[in-house]
Amino acid sequence: MASVKLEHVKKVYDNNVVAVHDFNLDIQDKEFIVFVGPSGCGKSTTLRMIAGLEDISDGTLTIGDRVVNDVEPKDRDIAMVFQNYALYPHISVYENMAFSLRIRKMSNEEVHKRVTQAAEILGITEYLGRKPKQLSGGQRQRVAIGRAIVRDPAVFLMDEPLSNLDAKLRNQMRAEIILLRKRIDTTFIYVTHDQTEAMTLGDRIVIMKDGYIQQVGTPQQVFETPKNLFVAGFIGSPQMNFLKADLVNKGGQYAVNVQGITVPLEAKHNAILNQKQVKPMPVTLGVRPEHTTLCFDDVSNAIESTVSVNEMMGSELHLHVVTKAGDKVILRIPTIDLTDSQRASLAYGNKLYFNFPGKVMHLFDPKTEESLLYPGD
Amino acid sequence: MSNNKQIPEVDIVVDEKAGVIREIKPEQKLRSKSGHEKRVNVGIYTILTLMAIIWLAPFVFLVFQSFRSYLTENGGMVNYLLPKTWSLDNYIWLFTDEKSLFLRWYLNTLIIALFNAVLQTVIVLSVAYALSRLRFKGRKLIMNAVLVLGLFPGFLTMITLYFLLKQLGLTQNGAIPGLILIYCASSGMGYYISKGFFDTIPKSLDESARIDGATRFQVFMKIIMPLAKPIVIYTILMAFMAPWGDFVFASYVAFGTTTNYNVAVGLYQWVNVADYQGFFTRFCAGGVLVAVPITALFLALQKYYVEGVTGGAVKG
Amino acid sequence: MTDLDYLKMSKWARLAHSFVGFFASIPSKCRDGFKKLGLWFVRLFRSIADNLVDLVDTFVKGDWKTRLSYLVMGFGSFARGQWGRGLLFFLFQTVFNLYMVNFGVAYLGKLNTLGTLETYREGRRTIYGDNSFFILLYGVLTLFFVLAFIYTWRANIRQNKVSQQILDSGKKLKSTKDDLKSLADEQFHKTLLALPTLGVLVFTVLPIIFMILVAFTNFDATHQPPSKLFTWVGWDNFRQLLSSDSASYGDTFKQVLFWTLLWAFFATFLNYFLGMMVAIMINKKGIKLKKMWRTILVMTIAIPQFVSLLYVSKMFAQDGLINTYLMKWGWIASPIPFWTDAGWARFTIILINLWIGIPYLMLIATGILMNIPADLYESARIDGANAFQMYRKITLPYMLFVTGPYLLTSFTGNINNFNVIFLLTGGKPLSLELSGNAGYTDLLITWLYKMTVNDTNYKLAAVMGILVFVVTAVINLLVYNLIPSVKNEEDFQ
Repeated sequence: MASVKLEHVKKVYDNNVVAVHDFNLDIQDKEFIVFVGPSGCGKSTTLRMIAGLEDISDGTLTIGDRVVNDVEPKDRDIAMVFQNYALYPHISVYENMAFSLRIRKMSNEEVHKRVTQAAEILGITEYLGRKPKQLSGGQRQRVAIGRAIVRDPAVFLMDEPLSNLDAKLRNQMRAEIILLRKRIDTTFIYVTHDQTEAMTLGDRIVIMKDGYIQQVGTPQQVFETPKNLFVAGFIGSPQMNFLKADLVNKGGQYAVNVQGITVPLEAKHNAILNQKQVKPMPVTLGVRPEHTTLCFDDVSNAIESTVSVNEMMGSELHLHVVTKAGDKVILRIPTIDLTDSQRASLAYGNKLYFNFPGKVMHLFDPKTEESLLYPGD
Repeated sequence: MSNNKQIPEVDIVVDEKAGVIREIKPEQKLRSKSGHEKRVNVGIYTILTLMAIIWLAPFVFLVFQSFRSYLTENGGMVNYLLPKTWSLDNYIWLFTDEKSLFLRWYLNTLIIALFNAVLQTVIVLSVAYALSRLRFKGRKLIMNAVLVLGLFPGFLTMITLYFLLKQLGLTQNGAIPGLILIYCASSGMGYYISKGFFDTIPKSLDESARIDGATRFQVFMKIIMPLAKPIVIYTILMAFMAPWGDFVFASYVAFGTTTNYNVAVGLYQWVNVADYQGFFTRFCAGGVLVAVPITALFLALQKYYVEGVTGGAVKG
Repeated sequence: MTDLDYLKMSKWARLAHSFVGFFASIPSKCRDGFKKLGLWFVRLFRSIADNLVDLVDTFVKGDWKTRLSYLVMGFGSFARGQWGRGLLFFLFQTVFNLYMVNFGVAYLGKLNTLGTLETYREGRRTIYGDNSFFILLYGVLTLFFVLAFIYTWRANIRQNKVSQQILDSGKKLKSTKDDLKSLADEQFHKTLLALPTLGVLVFTVLPIIFMILVAFTNFDATHQPPSKLFTWVGWDNFRQLLSSDSASYGDTFKQVLFWTLLWAFFATFLNYFLGMMVAIMINKKGIKLKKMWRTILVMTIAIPQFVSLLYVSKMFAQDGLINTYLMKWGWIASPIPFWTDAGWARFTIILINLWIGIPYLMLIATGILMNIPADLYESARIDGANAFQMYRKITLPYMLFVTGPYLLTSFTGNINNFNVIFLLTGGKPLSLELSGNAGYTDLLITWLYKMTVNDTNYKLAAVMGILVFVVTAVINLLVYNLIPSVKNEEDFQ
């Protein structure tokens, strides 16, 4: 059990490519941290630096109260689950799980106790005698986790552990990891490119891009107050819609002019802008698809658009529309509220009107891509 | 490897055992398919049978000749194939005649081959592992240097090596340890095929083992070696077989001391230098005695050989 | 030009374009090459300068332990408690000093003349003078040793600097036990590579450098140590081998080089295509006894070549089995001169080499054909390709692509294919038109062998070795630069 602290950690490869810039993060003891971002953002590199598989070019890494920059992986008291599981193919599941214990010259009884205990937690007792090849993907995943938990490590590292599984199994394993985490209360660092995984698993999420941390926060924080355009677009599915708009200020009340309609900001956001003394300017307006509403009767304060794709998802519709100004927007509409004639009117090529309330709007500076509504750290 | 399972359609068929995909022309299918097919197959069988005869003939002839007595018939070349009387005289001579050093040569070669198999395998696998799995300063330099050194013809350095060995007292009567030394000393340069094999083992296995607490040495012994069994066998096989065929350098090193010859040198002398006419059938008998166990060993381990050469060829 | 413009062109236009492109790129490639070379030199000098500056710097900033280490290697390590490292440094220095005083200096001094003192006889006693061979050999060895010493000495200084820095920052130095442990872990590559590297240095690099130097001496049958001296002669040997006046080997060399390349070409590509055909035939569905066919062919790989090839060579002799039976059956009136006519001999060698080479290629081709994804063929079938088209558009490119590097090594291997030539013909037939004992089937490598063993003409053998190196290196460089598949391994995967 240990905290992990990264201070100004940097990774530069031999060919002078900088994979991670100035990474600063305090991970609390027993916290579940998720690194998330598109491929090549440096999340795996950071994890591998924590594991000791990559050298740290600059900065300090502390696990517990020990600086471990130059400590070999085996002496860092960590365990890691790899994306391809990295099970040793030539030995049985039992011996796979016992490997690290045997290297540490643990007594036979102790090894047996720990392995069987871990196997029981993960429900793989009946496979202990098999070779990894004879297991299914989900079972291998469990063995990989089992191999890590027998060690009782201070820090538990997981590098995209679910991405080799099919969608159904992935959801199931995700739930199991949540359960597992309750049983073995330790520090977790989890890397994924899947924002759903990040949102559901993490106590806090670290969103990365091009080697820089974009935002660190609880799932709710990053969803509700994204710090910049990238975070706003990355978290949430389908992606947030972005529209060109103008920020105006009438006597201390800010409003947004977009595609011919004007939407005033709610008081909380208005206060932030006033405090920051933001001048009226062109902005990028962000609206999540689920925050839009269709207007069937009163279309006076709504944006006109044409349906280009209508995806029926069951409980909701995903409408891909093109506004009059030519922007592509996705609307997420619950089907339960729609009448049959309304539904019929949403066919390809038809006109429709939508709008959204002021409180769901996100505003970004088009130049810096920073959020104007972010209250500050 | 073979993700090509049997495909239901007849047009393209994967033969898993032979591992090859075969095509049949579409128009062929429309016409009388079986007739055409049969003719093609008959043609192939004819070619293969002819080839089999050509390929086997020299060996069969060799065996025939080895049973022609050098006493009652002619020990040299004759213009007929089958011995008039079948006799074991040549073999008996090889083993019992006091002038025959065949057993001694055989033993010499066996000793060299055994030592070579062990030492060379250790060296080759060490180098291959280091270059494949470990990252260190000078790794690229070593690989490039080996590439360049490999372009120099081997015989260029023969005379220097001979004098080096002579300085160490490892020529003539020291020829056997001398040859082992020479075979092994530079064998590290032949790391290519093994490295190619190691490269295919996922890196995460090493990393996982290192996080589990293993040193790199333990990773090598406990993880990589057990997984590299095919290539270990291939390396041993190659290292064991090579000394049986070396006559150029071996004759140079053992020059003049017939008791230190290896089989190849000794037999080569019989045909080309010694009494060529009289010793031909005895050469054949000796050749058979060398070829049979080596061939048996090779055929038994053929699978590993194939894995080695294909892997090596594909990865260059 | 964009990719699309290129794709629009017809096959021939594309070919012409690539051709023009290649020649157009030569000047810039050469320029790049020179630039790289120049940069390399700049970097070399810069690193030497950096090292010198660092040496002075370390001395100025160093404590007395560090400074004393400039004279006594390993002293600093000793004084700081790393006795293991200290001992090694110190031992190395001691051995080096002893070697240089007793041995090395004397040889180094004579390296410029390769000895002046002739061996002579005084009555019945022979008084041995200088031995040029050993002067050259040990001279080179001594140079190796000196370089190694400089490197180690430098490492010893750097070691002191680093140790001092570590101690200054309040950390502890590694103990000897740590050092030993790290040899199984962080420094494991040193453990693995130490012995193999030493072996290659002494038994490959040293001899090669020695022989390269021999190419610039007159070391031959008339200058044989210990009775005679040999000395430096500059480029004379190269001139003798390459120029075509009557006393030189130029014409013969051209002849042998031509045959070497011709041989390598046929030996490589005939084997390649026929081997592939055989593989396809054996693996065709409906052909039974696949394993048996394969095993029969593979026997030529298993049986030592000196047995099989020597025997085959006798079979094709003037009075050998082949001629005897052909005459017996009345197919020919007089024996075919398999080994005595230059043309026949070359033809027969290439033919017999098929016997050796086809099985090998058959094995490789089988393995690769197995790996061609079946869906490529399915897709081609749906696109309407017939069997031959599929072979040409899928099998062949795939094979060529995957085995590109193999073809290259195989080509260089055949240039140096000693066994087949030596065992079958020994280079014969000889001819008065060829000098230097070369025969019409001699490759550069077998000629080199003859020069070494039969003529003890080491100087020309050395030149020949260098030329073989040049030929193979040029071919390798060309292929690497011309054929992308050798470089880009991943396209087909």
